[in-house]
Amino acid sequence: MTNTSEAPSADVLMEVKGLKKHFQVKKGYFKKEISNVKAVDGVDVTIYEGETLGIVGESGCGKSTTGEMLLGLMKPTEGSVTFMGKDLTAMNKKELREMRKDIQVIFQDPFASLNPRMTVEELIGEPLKIHTSKTKKEIRNEVVELLEVVGLNQEQLKRYPHEFSGGQRQRIGIARALALKPKLIICDEPVSALDVSIQAQILNLLKKLQREFNLTLVFIAHGLPAVRNISDRIAVMYLGKIVEITDRDQLFAGALHPYTEALLKSIPVDHPSLRSNYQPLEGDLPNPANPPSGCAFHTRCPFAQEICREKAPSLEEHRENHHAACHYPLYK
Amino acid sequence: MSEPLLEIEDLRVRFRSDEGVVSPVNGVSFQVHEGETVAVVGESGSGKSMTSLSILGLVPAPGEVYDGSIRLQGEDLTKMKRSQMRKLRGNEISMIFQEPMTSLNPVFTIGNQMIEVIRLHQKLDKTESIQQAVTMLDLVGIPEPERVLKQFPHQLSGGMRQRVMIAMALSCNPKLLIADEPTTALDVTIQAQILNLMKELKDELNTGVILITHDLGVVAEVADRVVVMYGGEVVEEATVDEIFNHPVHPYTKGLLASVPKMTGPVEELGAIKGSVPTPSEMPTGCKFHPRCPIATDLCKQVHPQLEETTPQHFKRCFHTEGGVKHDEHERSTIS
Repeated sequence: MTNTSEAPSADVLMEVKGLKKHFQVKKGYFKKEISNVKAVDGVDVTIYEGETLGIVGESGCGKSTTGEMLLGLMKPTEGSVTFMGKDLTAMNKKELREMRKDIQVIFQDPFASLNPRMTVEELIGEPLKIHTSKTKKEIRNEVVELLEVVGLNQEQLKRYPHEFSGGQRQRIGIARALALKPKLIICDEPVSALDVSIQAQILNLLKKLQREFNLTLVFIAHGLPAVRNISDRIAVMYLGKIVEITDRDQLFAGALHPYTEALLKSIPVDHPSLRSNYQPLEGDLPNPANPPSGCAFHTRCPFAQEICREKAPSLEEHRENHHAACHYPLYK
Repeated sequence: MSEPLLEIEDLRVRFRSDEGVVSPVNGVSFQVHEGETVAVVGESGSGKSMTSLSILGLVPAPGEVYDGSIRLQGEDLTKMKRSQMRKLRGNEISMIFQEPMTSLNPVFTIGNQMIEVIRLHQKLDKTESIQQAVTMLDLVGIPEPERVLKQFPHQLSGGMRQRVMIAMALSCNPKLLIADEPTTALDVTIQAQILNLMKELKDELNTGVILITHDLGVVAEVADRVVVMYGGEVVEEATVDEIFNHPVHPYTKGLLASVPKMTGPVEELGAIKGSVPTPSEMPTGCKFHPRCPIATDLCKQVHPQLEETTPQHFKRCFHTEGGVKHDEHERSTIS
């Protein structure tokens, strides 16, 4: 019943090539540039129509910055994002605005992402008001329809965000993202701020909507269990780079990158009978302003060799549809 | 089993305001033994954090503990004077908070803050307390403890700060440690380090631990016993294996089903409908009935009691394994 691996022959919706975002840190009277934070440092990924691509990683790995660039909200330092044949990074404001009908976003914090002075009707109707020439009445009818789609009802039209619980607010955010019938929705940590029982409701809702509206989702999160639940393919990021990308089941069955394996083993177990004596990774995430030489993971990697300290590995296909950036991938 | 270290009985907390009285904790009872980790599980608004604040005597005004008892090795904490409680906190009972960034004072060095705790509670001079601080930092796996003592909180990473919090909490060798969502703010690989550390320390120091969390994965990883809370009450309590193998209460079952799994086939999650009611709009009868898939008229009217189903397994529900067995008995005991 689950569509595990999206056929690679499916239509390409978005093509990301050599995407980089470097932030300059300036200090002092003359604003001397002292360092360069490489938040995203060379991301290549292809997003196929109808799939859910999960992007996981710990804080500072650049997953949210990547998401913002895919949305066209942030100009990359280098690289291109091609959406339906057009390069987002070369668009002017007007073109970008037009394009946003097709790429929408769901944010993490449903408490901060909705304007507290707007009613539900205004919030969900706003994209329709801006992008279409529909009348007030038509917009209201559509908003009512959208509310029902996300599991809310007509009586809540005139209410304000503070009258809703976190889960309901996230539903409003989803309805807003759906309003223009986009092709792609970037979900940036959409369930992280929610209670467990509400997380499940939202994950189920996203899956249902994806089937109904034939949506393509990019699901950015740090929680691997949620990512596993919703994604067809998963990309693992570490310090601004994708270190591994493959089908969900393949990733869980045989991770190639030592970081992915450490990440998988760090997740608390599903059941007390699965407790193990796994010794977690030592050390902290390196500072992206001062990343280690060679492979960024070598400082924490149990298998690091001389070459890992000197040369950064590139993302290569080690198995069919299974890419990893590692000099010594784990073959099992 | 031996005398429990901590015994909470029928604890009730209330907040009075112009709009009326709300009770975030409503008759909570459980015990913690030495060297045991008891996980208190529940979603926001279940009363789990308020329960832990009550143990420390830190319920914020206008809240108050108005009924029940909290006995630490036989002594009732609710009857203690403020000065007595102050001696106890940080000494016999310690707490680790969720956010290591905000629970350390940013204008004092780690050393200042750790030594303050140690000197306040133990009869050690300055050199001895520095020595004790170094030992504790070493114990929680901080490299170069002498250097870290001279640093300020902002110079440390989140994981390191949480280690400092744990070192500080353990520095007076407390009998009871309350950890309120100790790993929620941390990255996964750092969370694994901290959970590992907590397991090791518990074995080494034989501290009783109350672990407050909403993450069932963390529970599966470190807990010995589990107390599931909903709407300010305990709805189920059992050993960690029992909870995961034979959950009885529909809320516990729902929680377990709603957690995405890391193993096995990927399935639709069993979500619980609706959301946790606020204390001011608590329903009558069983507090879970509006969200419960098996609720009957009885559940809407009568408030179920916590009862033992099998030895050491307690539940607050009229329906065990789907059948209505105890309603007559329950009804008579309640009214």
